[in-house]
Amino acid sequence: MTGTSKRHQSAGFRSLAHTADVGFKLWGETVADIFIQGAQSLYSLMTDRRRLRARQVQEVAVEAPDQEALLVEWLNYLLYLYDTQGFLARQIEIEEISPTRLHARLQGDTFDPRRHEVKTGVKAATYHQLAIRPTPEGWEGHVIFDL
Amino acid sequence: MGSEIKLRRLDAYRWEIPQEGAMRTRGLVYCSEEMIQALRHDQSLQQVVNVATLPGIVGASLAMPDIHWGYGFPIGGVAAFDLNEGVVSPGGVGYDINCGVRLLRTELRRPDIAQRVQELVDVLFTHIPSGVGSRRRDLKLDVPTLHEVLRYGAAWAVKKGFGSADDLLHIEAGGAIPGADPKAVSDHALDRGKDQLGTLGSGNHFTEIGYVAEIYDEATARALGIFKDQVTIIIHTGSRGLGHQVCDDYIRKLMQATNKYGFKLPDRQLCCAPVGSPEGREYLGAMAAAANFAFANRQLLTHWVRETLQQVLGLGPRDLGLELVYDVAHNIAKIESHQVNGKTKKLCVHRKGATRAFPPHHPEVPAAYQETGQPVLIPGDMGRYSYLLVGTQRALEETFGSTCHGAGRILSRHQAIKAAKGRSIEKELAARGIIVRGAGRGTVAEEIPEAYKDVEQVVQVVHGAGISAKVAKLHPLGVIKG
Repeated sequence: MTGTSKRHQSAGFRSLAHTADVGFKLWGETVADIFIQGAQSLYSLMTDRRRLRARQVQEVAVEAPDQEALLVEWLNYLLYLYDTQGFLARQIEIEEISPTRLHARLQGDTFDPRRHEVKTGVKAATYHQLAIRPTPEGWEGHVIFDL
Repeated sequence: MGSEIKLRRLDAYRWEIPQEGAMRTRGLVYCSEEMIQALRHDQSLQQVVNVATLPGIVGASLAMPDIHWGYGFPIGGVAAFDLNEGVVSPGGVGYDINCGVRLLRTELRRPDIAQRVQELVDVLFTHIPSGVGSRRRDLKLDVPTLHEVLRYGAAWAVKKGFGSADDLLHIEAGGAIPGADPKAVSDHALDRGKDQLGTLGSGNHFTEIGYVAEIYDEATARALGIFKDQVTIIIHTGSRGLGHQVCDDYIRKLMQATNKYGFKLPDRQLCCAPVGSPEGREYLGAMAAAANFAFANRQLLTHWVRETLQQVLGLGPRDLGLELVYDVAHNIAKIESHQVNGKTKKLCVHRKGATRAFPPHHPEVPAAYQETGQPVLIPGDMGRYSYLLVGTQRALEETFGSTCHGAGRILSRHQAIKAAKGRSIEKELAARGIIVRGAGRGTVAEEIPEAYKDVEQVVQVVHGAGISAKVAKLHPLGVIKG
């Protein structure tokens, strides 16, 4: 399961082995890329993202005590939006990001089982082995979801 | 990784991780020789060690034979903490608060439904919303009603006409954990719960029609109302999005508490607060509320199962005899009294992927089961079988009255999907006489039988070690998967 088709693409995600749950390695040029790839990895578990349309807009603002906790906060807020409104994002723009705050604009779709594939339910993004760090090429992250 | 951890074999079913370094106690793993090898490849044993470092842990950091690598605490982990010096940890309960299992029995025998299983599965599938983000359009709860659900659990459902008062006598804690504090549950959690009561959800959750294939203890089976070839129903689900949000909210709060109380933890997911601290008490109140939501959820599903069977088979409630054998929580923290060094002590017992297994004559075991011990339900994977056991005195003495909860994964979900590629899992199971309907394309593949340890091996360990006793084996006939 990878988020990019071409090799050496500047941002993407790849699933990692974890027995009970699913972990993802995330990479990108900027910290914002890590947050976008984290969201895309989450949506890839839930549905076929290619069938989502960008028909609605949601503005999201989240806060956390540090950057890694912010990633979990952001992903779990996306799960909240899905659980309460059926909202799944197709396009994500990070408008503002600091180590403790994130503001994003999402364009997406309301889940409809007639149009969208039902994959796996995700309970939450966890703090277990959570990481965001700089690399020579940019940034990488690591997140495990509880399914 | 796991291979560096010292393991000392105590007997055929018990392995000790000696107390070393930052550990405050030893680890005790219930496992067979064959199973222990697989554990060395992941981090589950390291997680047993990590739990052993938490403040105020009483007795060993325990792991049941279905242990697998979780987040923070291992899945299959049991840990008890002193109420004064010990901690409570949302990661020791998990995101699906009061995920659990209930077993229903009927007056029917396998031949009575042999030609009707497909129809039963199809009708159940339309009556019970299943899969990712499943919600009910016919039952949307406002906040005051949700608060009642959170406070009264299964009793709320019974009061609304979903089941009978007799059901409540056959549920762990009577279907309502005391001390639930609905005000400790956030608006976000309530939002997630408002249309999810009465839904199955996704992942490994299921409703299964099966039959009693084998009986190991005739007298106990009879006392539990179980006979050979009897048609049974198993429901496995939890507190849905409401519980997930409560866990997430309190992990965030308890991470701050961890700093405030100066705890040094090897994994952030282990964050915790002293049991008696304001933060600890608030979490326990919210957790009990979410647990009660789960009890109500399984009670509602039971109602729709009863309706479905009556409708499809054209039987009245008495002829059907669809009664609750028992309902157990396997992701929970409870305040319980246990004997520690000859003295009765109140402890906060965390069971994360572990089932309570209290012995005969224990005050918390319902009157109906005072002579047998508490029924323990261990679901296997969808292609194999499940077990009914009872709790024992030995469990009470060794494991704070706890046993295993299921089969335990051996393949990751990703590996399982790979293994299922190009195969029709539904057809393979149908060839073995099991009809499966799954809401998600992924879930049936992820839950293929070979993704799990054989639950028989798991049950053999707990039975052999004496921490629960086998009563009967149940085979599936029809399954709806989330």
